[in-house]
Amino acid sequence: MSLLALRDLGKRFGGVNALTDVSFAVDQGDVLGIIGPNGAGKTTLLNCISGLYTPDTGDIRWEAASIRGLAPYRIARLGIGRTFQIVRPFPSMTVRENTAMGALFGRPGARLQPGAALKEADTVLDVVGLGEKRNYPVLRLTVPDRKRLEVARGLAMRPRLLLLDEVMAGLNQVEVELALEMVRRVRDSGVTIVLIEHVMKVIVGVCSRALVLNFGRTLVEGPPADVLKDPRVIEAYLGQRYARDQEPPPYPPPQAGEGNEK
Amino acid sequence: MRRATVAIATVGLAYMILAPLTSIDAAQQAGLPLLTDKVWFRIATTVAMFVVLASAWNIVGGLTGYASFGNIAFFGLGAYTVGVLVGIRNWPFGLALLIAPLVAALFALMVGVPLLRLRGHYFAVATLGVGVATGEVVNNLGPLGASTGLYLPIVRSDLLFFYLMLVAAALAVLTTWVILRTRFGYGLLAIRENEEAAAVIGVNTNFYKVAAFCIAAALSGIAGGIFAQWNSFINQELVFAVSDNVQMILMAVIGGAGTVLGPVAGAVVLELIIQTLAGGGSGSVYSQIGLGVLLAVCVIFIPRGVIDFFGGRSRLSLRYLRETLRETSA
Repeated sequence: MSLLALRDLGKRFGGVNALTDVSFAVDQGDVLGIIGPNGAGKTTLLNCISGLYTPDTGDIRWEAASIRGLAPYRIARLGIGRTFQIVRPFPSMTVRENTAMGALFGRPGARLQPGAALKEADTVLDVVGLGEKRNYPVLRLTVPDRKRLEVARGLAMRPRLLLLDEVMAGLNQVEVELALEMVRRVRDSGVTIVLIEHVMKVIVGVCSRALVLNFGRTLVEGPPADVLKDPRVIEAYLGQRYARDQEPPPYPPPQAGEGNEK
Repeated sequence: MRRATVAIATVGLAYMILAPLTSIDAAQQAGLPLLTDKVWFRIATTVAMFVVLASAWNIVGGLTGYASFGNIAFFGLGAYTVGVLVGIRNWPFGLALLIAPLVAALFALMVGVPLLRLRGHYFAVATLGVGVATGEVVNNLGPLGASTGLYLPIVRSDLLFFYLMLVAAALAVLTTWVILRTRFGYGLLAIRENEEAAAVIGVNTNFYKVAAFCIAAALSGIAGGIFAQWNSFINQELVFAVSDNVQMILMAVIGGAGTVLGPVAGAVVLELIIQTLAGGGSGSVYSQIGLGVLLAVCVIFIPRGVIDFFGGRSRLSLRYLRETLRETSA
């Protein structure tokens, strides 16, 4: 049985169909990469899974049970952690306290007390490479570090599935390498991952499968290398004419998506 | 510096508790102000009352980040509960005082569930509406004395009400202190700092917010109940005054919202300033102007409150000023 399975998921905002009939399944140990142009519905998809939005149609199953319409905190306690593309730390707290919050509230089952949660935070911060900055106030962190902190807070929940929303966006080449290492470490620790990314190097480098969204629909799904070569994907990113002129199709240049990110 | 604050607080508290017990003669010989004076009792009891209200407001406004302009309704309902039970039903005051926080908390539960779905300005305006409306409803209900108000049998004991209010104040401060050391408190802080992030890490945000609202209501209800018997007369203007709600917010904010002792410092300092400014007959106008100026200055220059200003590293540096100014304008 799949860990997470989406069936015919749909979400509308007024007249806009943000998601239409999206179906996929994630097995234990998978790293699924979700790509797609801006506005394709990637973040909406994560919001539906983590419960911030209730999908209009379709169903989301966690192991055997439907989690559609459950409150976000319930979904979190089932073992689904997430990060936000635009980071959302708790600004008045230190790095360590921020991370401890994940352990304090997100644990399936056991209820930790603040002291134990702080200890747990120390372990997690070493995994993401923030160990030396644990006592920094959050506002002193750089953007890449804040992205790491998002991951740390998610990991502190000891999730079985971690949803990463563009943790590499805005990072330079060296930082991407470091972040990639971090994602691999998380994967190797046994956490299943669904990640949204525009950096193609990440999709090829760490994902076991890739899924392309375009205008809220699944365009292509399959092994990352095949997906990125698919003419339909190149067309979605760069337009019809570019796709026609490129025979045989190369990788879509990584800048294609990145350039448009805020 | 922290140790100094605690020391000052301890000495101040001991003085507050013991001073009324000393006789006038002893006080005069020691050169202390006449603490057995009726006026002093009135002021001291009022200060303690606002410590309760500001601390209770702080649990919702300071810890959870929901600025409520309707907390005065909890105070009013507490007062009216005691007013009805003691004044009309002839219950003993002590028993009625136990019911007051329950009524206030129940009301908070009822209005909190829908109201706490709103955020920011919307929450502030909606709570203001509920606060005013509750007062108006009470003011028009015959069984509650309508616009004439309610009279309670007079209990002549300045000492009793001073100590009752002081115990309520201690309870409010202790509640805040305990909350800040528990999982519950961290959940409230997470909601204040970023509600969606709190939800996705597993904080049951709706439950936490409503619980905080109910705790604040219960504490305010106790203060209201004590006030009703102390004053032996209540009506809408006395116990549902929006200006009192504004005052408790000012106290919490000026003292230091989100801290344990901030609202205490704010209540003491502000109430004494108000009493001083209002001292000379037509002074209430100056009192209002003075408060307005004070609030503006405090919000701009010490947005984290008096407690923060006097604690820890040097606050009189340009750097502190720059930092706080940046925070305010952000």
